Amino acid sequence: MPVKNFEQVVRFYEARQDPGGPSIWLPLVDVTLVTPANSRVSLPLLFDTGASVTTLRADLYPILGLQSWDQGIRVETDTAGGRTAVYRYTYTLEIFGKTIDCPIHLASELPYHPLFVGLFGRDTIFNEFGFGFWESTHELYLTPSP
Amino acid sequence: MRSSIQTYNEIESQKTIITSISASGEKSPESPEEFLRTLDKFGIEWYVTEKGTLTIKYWQIGAEDFVSPEQAAIIRSDRPSPEQGDELDWLSKNLQNVRGRYGGQWVAVYNNEIVVAASDLSDLIRQIGGFDRPLITFIPAEPVVWTFTYAS
Repeated sequence: MPVKNFEQVVRFYEARQDPGGPSIWLPLVDVTLVTPANSRVSLPLLFDTGASVTTLRADLYPILGLQSWDQGIRVETDTAGGRTAVYRYTYTLEIFGKTIDCPIHLASELPYHPLFVGLFGRDTIFNEFGFGFWESTHELYLTPSP
Repeated sequence: MRSSIQTYNEIESQKTIITSISASGEKSPESPEEFLRTLDKFGIEWYVTEKGTLTIKYWQIGAEDFVSPEQAAIIRSDRPSPEQGDELDWLSKNLQNVRGRYGGQWVAVYNNEIVVAASDLSDLIRQIGGFDRPLITFIPAEPVVWTFTYAS
């Protein structure tokens, strides 16, 4: 069996909505988006191996320099909630020390959550890294040299 | 006394090395990790920027390309820059207060505080120009009901 080494950690963050309510722990990734104006903003994304493509909420379109969320290439995609249309773009992300040009979908049906504005998905990005998951410690481990 | 002198000399040696790296781009004779461990041993505070620059405020020295951006990310996962807080951690721990005050608004978080809030994202974007990589998110006014996830 090959030995796998992981140098970085993807943290889980607690999302507790009410003081006495249940505590939910979410694996979140702080991704830097390079905007068309060449500025950089940090977008928190949910680490989601079930997302084929990194997907942002549709109403983030102004930050991408777009006039509307549906200017890109229309793509039909399967989701847990059924088949839906998203719009595909390509942007530059900086993540875990790497700069990656990758596809990004804008989707109108992602729910609001204060701790993330989209899903950190597989296409292109996951090829650059190796991941290991330990549920008991609420940690994801990664290596930039898979 | 001799021990103190020896320590002083060793620290000066580290300073000379980092000054050389800073001035001429020379590489450290030790590996970056060993060099940083030596700094820790003497209690010298340092941090590495995202681009890989080693910065030692006390000596007012910054050595560019001390490590690659990939190595910098690994180092920074254990030791982020002092001026760069973990905004997500802060937001997670202050979620109830933030929702109470900023529910229904887009917010920019920087250095562990909300620096800009606006109900319209375009308005927020116009106001965040002075901040380096602020974290942007929307604070829902209502509790989140998670009913939807993406599949492959």
